[in-house]
Amino acid sequence: MKRTGPVIFGFLIGMVMLLQYFSPHPTLLSTYNLILDWKQVVFGMTLILGIVSLVRFHSTKIRRKQDGWLYSIVTLAGLVAMSGSSLVWGTERGFYPWAFDNIQAPMQATMFALLAFYVASASYRAFRVRSLHAGLLLLAGVIVMLGRVPLGELIGITIKGQHYALPQLSTWILDVPNLAAKRGILIGVGLGMVATALKILLGIERSYLGKGA
Amino acid sequence: MRELDTSAPIAKRTIWTRLMAVDRRIIFLAVALSVALPLIYPIGLPVKTANESRAYFKEMDQLNAGDVIMFSFDYEPDTMAELDPMSLTTWRHAFRKDLKIIALTMYAGGTGVAERIMRQVAGEYGKVYGEDYIFLGYNPDWSGTMLRLGESIKATYPTDQYGTPSESFPILQHVDRYGHIKLLVSVSASALSEYWAIWAGGKYGQRMISGNTAVQAVLIYPYFQTDQISGFLGGLKGAAEYESLVGIKGEGTRGMDAQSTAHALMVLFILLGNVGYVMNRRRRTQ
Repeated sequence: MKRTGPVIFGFLIGMVMLLQYFSPHPTLLSTYNLILDWKQVVFGMTLILGIVSLVRFHSTKIRRKQDGWLYSIVTLAGLVAMSGSSLVWGTERGFYPWAFDNIQAPMQATMFALLAFYVASASYRAFRVRSLHAGLLLLAGVIVMLGRVPLGELIGITIKGQHYALPQLSTWILDVPNLAAKRGILIGVGLGMVATALKILLGIERSYLGKGA
Repeated sequence: MRELDTSAPIAKRTIWTRLMAVDRRIIFLAVALSVALPLIYPIGLPVKTANESRAYFKEMDQLNAGDVIMFSFDYEPDTMAELDPMSLTTWRHAFRKDLKIIALTMYAGGTGVAERIMRQVAGEYGKVYGEDYIFLGYNPDWSGTMLRLGESIKATYPTDQYGTPSESFPILQHVDRYGHIKLLVSVSASALSEYWAIWAGGKYGQRMISGNTAVQAVLIYPYFQTDQISGFLGGLKGAAEYESLVGIKGEGTRGMDAQSTAHALMVLFILLGNVGYVMNRRRRTQ
């Protein structure tokens, strides 16, 4: 029953969610809404699980004085200060908006901005014309990079009185080869998702129940 | 193919090997200067609009005063340099047309982003909270929320972000599901705008547009071509294009010069590296 119960439960819930797509029956609709409400409750519980896990991990690190334990103190202090202040004063006044605007936002923005430096350095080292394929990738990359900024508008050629600017070529790359590849991937992913969903509904795929299921 | 030994003593290196091994600190400095200088001394490169940005503008512009739109802040502060200009211009465009906005976020960190944008733009246009716009806040479980909003907004969000019952807001008197919303706008740093298209658009037929980071924008083209997403803004360039269409010069337009020089610099470094690589290979084969 420990294994069969969740499989039967999963099958029933899955069937309701599947059938409601095809029928507007009031019973199906109310069950559908009930499942969505419960889904949100379950998702909320996973947040609590995440917080407990975070606190346990970092408190153990601090207790054992492991490498970087001081950062763990900062992490826990940040968690307590931000969530505590938002619970007491709300998110629109008090410590929370101040800390968000002056600590969290600049730090997160800085981390993301650093990517520009690493991407520049990495692309300089990695983009080498080692083969025809690499050359094509490099060419497409350069065209899209320049075609997506106003500078690209200044680059182009005129053939028989008709001007072709770089952004037009960039748009073609995005609209045609990129789209074909992306659509192929999307169809593949979609079919994979349907197959996996069916396997879960029919109890063939049970890895979500953990080891030994 | 043998790998090039770039750790050889400098004295033995040729100009070509040096081109292949520029110190990363020089690259970092060049990137910093290429971004900072155009911000200090703007060049004023012209911004031309793309189809997807024009479609985004058209979807917003064809709405009438009093129409209700839903705006989802699907990003956190890390991408605000790229996405804030889109949000700001969309809110300004909406308030200029006297549209009503129901705002929400699918990220916990999106609450701070949303409050800053709403506070600023509502202040500029003298809009009243609860009548002209409301903020429903963050709900865990984005997929469940997207689906549940198609049945009832008030049941999904019994209160707004600040604990006031949703039913008490004038803006929600005659609005309770997607069918009552003219347009859904998702400004997103992840695949969330795709999921809005799948859950809200696919199941409930909700019309939507999106703003995306440059990296994410490439993934939106299939949805745009099939009109599942009726218009979208790609990266800072998309934001600048939308600003020029609305007639507001904002951070997007200001950032275009810096982005142009940074892209040009990266292309220059890539080309230099490849010149070095090709010349070295030729020298070795001779």
